[in-house]
Amino acid sequence: MKGIPNETSPQDDANAELIQSEKMASLGLLSAGLAHEINTPLGAIHSNNDTIARGIEKMKHLLAEKGDADNRRAALDLLGLLEEVSQNTSLATERLMNIVGSLKNFTRLDEAEFKKADIHEGLESTLTIVQHKLRERIAVKKNYGKIPLVECYPNRLNQVFMNLIVNAAQAIHDRGTITIETSLQGDSVRVSISDDGGGIPAENLPKVFDPGFTTKGVGVGTGLGLSICYQIIQQHQGKIEVESGNGKTTFTMDLPITHKKDERLRMQARQGAAIKKKR
Amino acid sequence: MAEKYLPVILLVDDEEMIITSIKSFLAIETEYHLMTYTSPLKALEDLDNKVKKVDLVISDYLMPEMDGISFLAEVKKRMPLVPRILLTGYADKENAINAINNVGLYQYIEKPWNNDDLRLIIRNGIEKTHLLNELEAKIREVEKVHKELHDVHKEILKVFV
Repeated sequence: MKGIPNETSPQDDANAELIQSEKMASLGLLSAGLAHEINTPLGAIHSNNDTIARGIEKMKHLLAEKGDADNRRAALDLLGLLEEVSQNTSLATERLMNIVGSLKNFTRLDEAEFKKADIHEGLESTLTIVQHKLRERIAVKKNYGKIPLVECYPNRLNQVFMNLIVNAAQAIHDRGTITIETSLQGDSVRVSISDDGGGIPAENLPKVFDPGFTTKGVGVGTGLGLSICYQIIQQHQGKIEVESGNGKTTFTMDLPITHKKDERLRMQARQGAAIKKKR
Repeated sequence: MAEKYLPVILLVDDEEMIITSIKSFLAIETEYHLMTYTSPLKALEDLDNKVKKVDLVISDYLMPEMDGISFLAEVKKRMPLVPRILLTGYADKENAINAINNVGLYQYIEKPWNNDDLRLIIRNGIEKTHLLNELEAKIREVEKVHKELHDVHKEILKVFV
């Protein structure tokens, strides 16, 4: 692992800017899919509400007329239908709340500071956000171990998880599996994300963390994703490694559970630089 | 009493949620026979084997098995005259417009949709099917009469020549 400079330098400022722009780029890529994810429950709610209003009007007419057996049956049928529509609205609302909750959890704008966080929670909210990229095409296998909270910048780690999961999904051309594992390794937490999408050619393997290296073609990737993952993990005094072979690629991260006080101050200084740049 | 003919609509969306919404609205405001599928592949299978007549097809765009444009292109191969409608999230509008031009779609509807618009588009689409069917029947009739006329003409010629 490379050393980390003691103070923020102009290079840090440039890096912070890079991280921010990559984050925006990846959110941009996601927003098209997110719009579809949101428009599905929104479309259902919009239509359901209209259907309920129409149903209520019809019900009024039915009740105003003289109640014979036919009318009574029609009214009961209508009520049954309205009940189903209202249940459907509940499902749709729940789905929307889930999406918004995950977005909030993912960006963690309200808690950009260094804190103890649940890695599993971060993985889960990231998975919800990238769901439309996976859909039924890709199965996600989770082998979560018993791990403690980790001192980190949760929003930054989520950015790493998102990058790795989206990369894995893009590596799988047809159907496949993404496996996410967590475990406790001494005083670190290990998170590994693997895919069975065919693997990375041996000659490319040493280059994957280089800024600008991409095999995805213009417009698909910025070529910065993995280099930024590398930086973020470094800032957490952690390690990230890649292994590929037999059609399988695995990214493994080791994240220290706690940090010494002076390290923490340095990380906060870096985060400060990032926030300064953003404004 | 003879049963009234109800136009048949085939709706495909991988989201049960959307199917329930559209089904309920159509049940309350219209009289159509609605067939729903969450799997475009199953819908094609049924079109090949079971389903005899369809008046209109509506499909979602983004589905895991196959996208709505490919599905509607497959439907076109089987039933070229049936109007095809694409249901799409705003994000893929550009794709939808391309598809309307390439695959020859009748219309596209954006999610979230307006129920009155949906009803109108369906009604117009079905009317189009009926007009096309009538036109086809008329053309066949004209051809038949034309052939009869031609035969009579031949007979007359035989008598005189």
